[in-house]
Amino acid sequence: MSEATAAIERIFRRIGTGNEQADLVLGGGLPANSINIVMGQPGTGKTIFAEQLLFHNASADRPSVYVSTLSEPMSKMVSYVQRFSYFQADKLGTEIQYEDIGPMMSSDGLAALVPWLSQLIKNTSPKIIIIDSFRALHDLASSVPETRRMVADLAGLLSAYDTTALLLGEYTNEDVQRYPEFAVSDSIIQLARQPLGTRDERYLRVLKLRGSSYREGQHAFRITGDGIALYPRLISPRMATSYTPRSDRVSLGVPGLDDMLDGGVWAGTTTLLVGPTGSGKTTVAMHFALEGVARKEPTLYVNFQENPAQLARSFTNLGADLTAAQRAGLEFMYASPVELQIDSIVVGIFERIKGGTIRRVVIDAVGDLITAASDVKRMHDYLYSLVQHFAVSGVTSLLTFESGISSTGNLGSHEQRFSYMSDNVLAISLGGEERTRRTLRVVKTRNSAHDPVVRQLDIGAAGARVS
Amino acid sequence: MSSEPAATGHHAIILVVERDPHIRALEAFFLNEAGFGVEFAFDGVAALQLARAIKPDIIITEVLVPKLDGLALCRAVRKEAELKDTVVLVFSILAAATRAREAGADAFLMKPLAEQRLVQTVRELLAQRRTTRPAPGPP
Repeated sequence: MSEATAAIERIFRRIGTGNEQADLVLGGGLPANSINIVMGQPGTGKTIFAEQLLFHNASADRPSVYVSTLSEPMSKMVSYVQRFSYFQADKLGTEIQYEDIGPMMSSDGLAALVPWLSQLIKNTSPKIIIIDSFRALHDLASSVPETRRMVADLAGLLSAYDTTALLLGEYTNEDVQRYPEFAVSDSIIQLARQPLGTRDERYLRVLKLRGSSYREGQHAFRITGDGIALYPRLISPRMATSYTPRSDRVSLGVPGLDDMLDGGVWAGTTTLLVGPTGSGKTTVAMHFALEGVARKEPTLYVNFQENPAQLARSFTNLGADLTAAQRAGLEFMYASPVELQIDSIVVGIFERIKGGTIRRVVIDAVGDLITAASDVKRMHDYLYSLVQHFAVSGVTSLLTFESGISSTGNLGSHEQRFSYMSDNVLAISLGGEERTRRTLRVVKTRNSAHDPVVRQLDIGAAGARVS
Repeated sequence: MSSEPAATGHHAIILVVERDPHIRALEAFFLNEAGFGVEFAFDGVAALQLARAIKPDIIITEVLVPKLDGLALCRAVRKEAELKDTVVLVFSILAAATRAREAGADAFLMKPLAEQRLVQTVRELLAQRRTTRPAPGPP
């Protein structure tokens, strides 16, 4: 490597956040030798984000320093950090140092910060400096010019030395325009919490990252015992236009149904199965899953309505040997619709198919995801992206969708919104006086002939059958 | 603190050409800590004059300094017979390794300041200088 290349690489060096998914969102981590702001209201997870980074970057030759100012007492901070798995007691005092400058700042004022930091650099050569809360320091300023002078001086010092700084603060969106630290920062990461029904959803968003691409938009996260569990917003794979679609057909596993589809659906395609409650969508989906494992195609069954015991009973009632099916590659993913966190579910599905072994996926039902979503448009984007991933990965999928009660088999407006992202659309209708007569119609197939006739769908002890 | 010997047996003197006050302060601290004597100039013209007067063992210069930039300073130093043994290290915010070499610099380092890298480079340059430019005998 040439000297010039090495120098350039040093400029674009990244500091890992200790969170693989956050690094993915940030295009590889925070830029080294940078000033970064982590903003968010109290309780949004700023300290956890910073401490995870702190412990991840701990090194024996150069310590990382957490500087507490005027917000939380240092003792409380150190006490809480011990609850997390990233905490390593043996690093405290050597590789990781906690400093409390609250009393000094209160007595000496804003001007004391930069000289103190300069001395810290001379004494300890810190690799990481975290200042929490930086926003609270504004309370000490006697004038705006004083604050601006201090921030300019701070930026000069932190840019001069090979260190990466995080300034944490309870900043609001308005503060971004108001406070000078945002102008000198290299990155701005926002953590937010917003109510959704009876629960809250947390989001991370990158507002600024100098000289680097990053994944835009809201990325959901949870706070767990391991720190921040982030679910990066799913984006369509870049290679979606250049992949080679599979050219084999796949059986849906329902006797008579493949004949309506010219021998089955194309492998790697997505089929939307629409029908009202009680029409047999789940039964058809279970056939599809069992056919998959029978053909040595590991299948992921994602389900939100029946808990694992209920679903196991449904499979058994269908005559399946569930234990054998699971040994053969049938996997379940269940989330209660009450606690459904769509980002984690969709990212979880993506992670499972990324392993490369899953060949079929059932999502029963996508309507549950939409109901749980705070932003329906975002959910549509997610599903479209997921379907693209299925196609690129050669995974054949079946999505069920509960429609309104209709005897015509025509798609309603909700269903139509999903049909554009599906290669095949099947609609089940209930008819007859007791609404017990099921019919199935193939609404659409891409690149394939299909039977236009509405056929009878019978569901009995042996499962479903089209006649 | 031990003093770092230069080629001629005296303690190595470093002339730092830098206008950023934070970098000046940190360079002074870390180089002093490592045992070097440090003098400062804030622009290229003043640096050349000071170099003629004090004959530093090493000049560490930023490219972006007023009046005479760091690369022009380097070329000027190379033309001065009296400064032929002076080592020049370009230490810059610019990725200017090739241009520094073309201007006659002995080494290039990219900012920001990392004291271990800086001190190590200075020591290596002094060691090379002792090898390639043997110290004159006692007067």
